[in-house]
Amino acid sequence: MEDKKALGQCLLLDGVVFTFLILSFAVAILQPTEEQLLNLSMVSGVTFGTLIVTMALAYGLIHFKIKTVGYLLFSPPKIDDSAHHVSWFKTFWGVQLTVAFVVACIVGIRVTDFSLYELFDEQGMMGARRIFSSLFTPNFDILPRAVLAIVETIFMAFMATVLAVPVAFVLSFLCAKNIMGDHPVAFALYGTLRTVLNVTRSIEPLIWAIVFSVWVGIGPFAGMLALLLHSVASLAKNFSELAEGISEGPIEAIRATGATPVQVVWFAVVPQIVLPYTAFTIYRWDINVRMATIIGLVGGGGIGTMLIQYQGQAQWNEVGCLVIVIAVVVWLMDTASAYIREAIK
Amino acid sequence: MSDTILKVEKLEKTYDNGVQALKGVSFDVKRGEFLVIIGLSGSGKSTLLRCLNNLHQPTGGRVTFNGEDITVVKGSKARSIRSKIGMIFQHFNLIPRYSVFKNALSGSLSRAGTLKSLMGIYNEEDKKRALDYLDLVGIKEKAYIRADQLSGGQQQRVAIARALTQNPEILLADEPVASLDPATCHTVMDYLKKVNRELGLTVICNLHFLSLVRQYADRVIALKGGELVYEGDPSHIDEKWFEEIYGEGAKEVHIN
Ligand SMILES: Nc1ncnc2c1ncn2[C@@H]1O[C@H](COP(=O)(O)OP(=O)(O)OP(=O)(O)O)[C@@H](O)[C@H]1O
Ligand SMILES: [Mg+2]
Repeated sequence: MEDKKALGQCLLLDGVVFTFLILSFAVAILQPTEEQLLNLSMVSGVTFGTLIVTMALAYGLIHFKIKTVGYLLFSPPKIDDSAHHVSWFKTFWGVQLTVAFVVACIVGIRVTDFSLYELFDEQGMMGARRIFSSLFTPNFDILPRAVLAIVETIFMAFMATVLAVPVAFVLSFLCAKNIMGDHPVAFALYGTLRTVLNVTRSIEPLIWAIVFSVWVGIGPFAGMLALLLHSVASLAKNFSELAEGISEGPIEAIRATGATPVQVVWFAVVPQIVLPYTAFTIYRWDINVRMATIIGLVGGGGIGTMLIQYQGQAQWNEVGCLVIVIAVVVWLMDTASAYIREAIK
Repeated sequence: MSDTILKVEKLEKTYDNGVQALKGVSFDVKRGEFLVIIGLSGSGKSTLLRCLNNLHQPTGGRVTFNGEDITVVKGSKARSIRSKIGMIFQHFNLIPRYSVFKNALSGSLSRAGTLKSLMGIYNEEDKKRALDYLDLVGIKEKAYIRADQLSGGQQQRVAIARALTQNPEILLADEPVASLDPATCHTVMDYLKKVNRELGLTVICNLHFLSLVRQYADRVIALKGGELVYEGDPSHIDEKWFEEIYGEGAKEVHIN
């Protein structure tokens, strides 16, 4: 394999697969105690050791032209040799995939305490039936309060979106390669911003909500801040990808008239992006309403907070009412945003 | 004022990726002339035009505009130079969602002031000028139609109006008719000639077809591999010159 990067990816993937298999068998055979498994330095040492050995093993396999999964994935053969075709279950990668999948399923069953017995247990079924029957006979007495709470949720999502748009708008230009050019300072800024945004985005709003509810106190403001942060990061990414796809021609033409950089952005870039930006913004609001409901569960305010309170007191009829309100609003938002996005395309 | 509006001396341009697009090109442009640049694809014609109005920064040599060195200018100085040099492009480069009028008016951006232009405030003089030039290129009746509703030839005429609204002294045209059909192509070239004659505007135009060159050019320069290989009268270009410029075995294509 000539390509160093592809080789690295391939060895890593095969190494991880083999390590997973070996460690699974080791745990099954040696039956370590929980205390042993909690010994971080030992576990990580064994894991890394195995990973290195198996990556070397994978290298050996590839060296002897045995097609592993990693090899096929990251360095697919340039020639299609299906003429002398071998059934997949007779190939190395076929066996490797099958064994890995079967072992993963077995481990999965053990780890999740998967049990048909529990699922169909007489007493458990009774409990489920009780909850379902109360869910389906919702208590509409709390409807007015539920509506007020969901209005709070919708506005939490709305404010988060509205405040996120201008920030994301500015950031999107700083995160677009074609607009930033290849000046070293610009490139450094571009790289830093991208990394910060990627990290921010990969942390779920739920986690941010926990952080902010400690920071500013439990309530809708904490939820709004959590959504805001996540929205800025997501919108900046969407926006900057759109900005990278715009055509250069009008930019060059407006530059040639002697316009200032701000005028170039306003007259040549903005007209190309307003509609797609608007579409993404509406979509984000829609997503934010759904997320705001979840965020309420950890004290972010709105209908989610109400839901967790009734759930805690096992008042399932009230929970039923809230679930209906949430479902209706989410469905309405979803449909409306889809129609609007279709219309402005 | 002197006869020479633009003086290009040993102009060089090496792109960041190492491509040497211009290797020391020298020529003069006389005030009011219609100068045509010919050359194969990749010979550096577009690069040359963009080095004249500072869309690209030359990496060597000198460009003098009205006696002033404009080779390396930055910021507001660069913008003021650009505003005096209009430019039109092969793909017109209008703002598709804007009206014809608004496109033409964008030629006045350098005078409008950033804040005012963002709020859509233009002075009456500029508005009148934009309409007058739309009239000049025969497209005034379409002023309030969206630019992307027009045909290619009409769009190029709007682009000419936009460049004229700048009040330029020179008009650069980068293969203005390369994406148009033969008939439309002559209409657009005729308007360029009209602008050149009636407004006395100096035109520097990249072209591909020799038949057009003979018909419209006052003078011709030819580029080959980033070097100037011919400078002179269009009527002196014969088969031999043609082969020299476009390489052995090339045949002249006629377009009527
Ligand atoms: N932005 C750029 N970055 C790097 N190289 C470029 C750039 N623009 C042009 N070049 C290179 O410079 C050389 C001259 O290109 P240029 O566009 O000036 O030629 P041209 O004569 O206008 O050709 P055409 O008739 O195809 O428009 C080519 O080799 C081209 O690949
Ligand atoms: Mg070109």
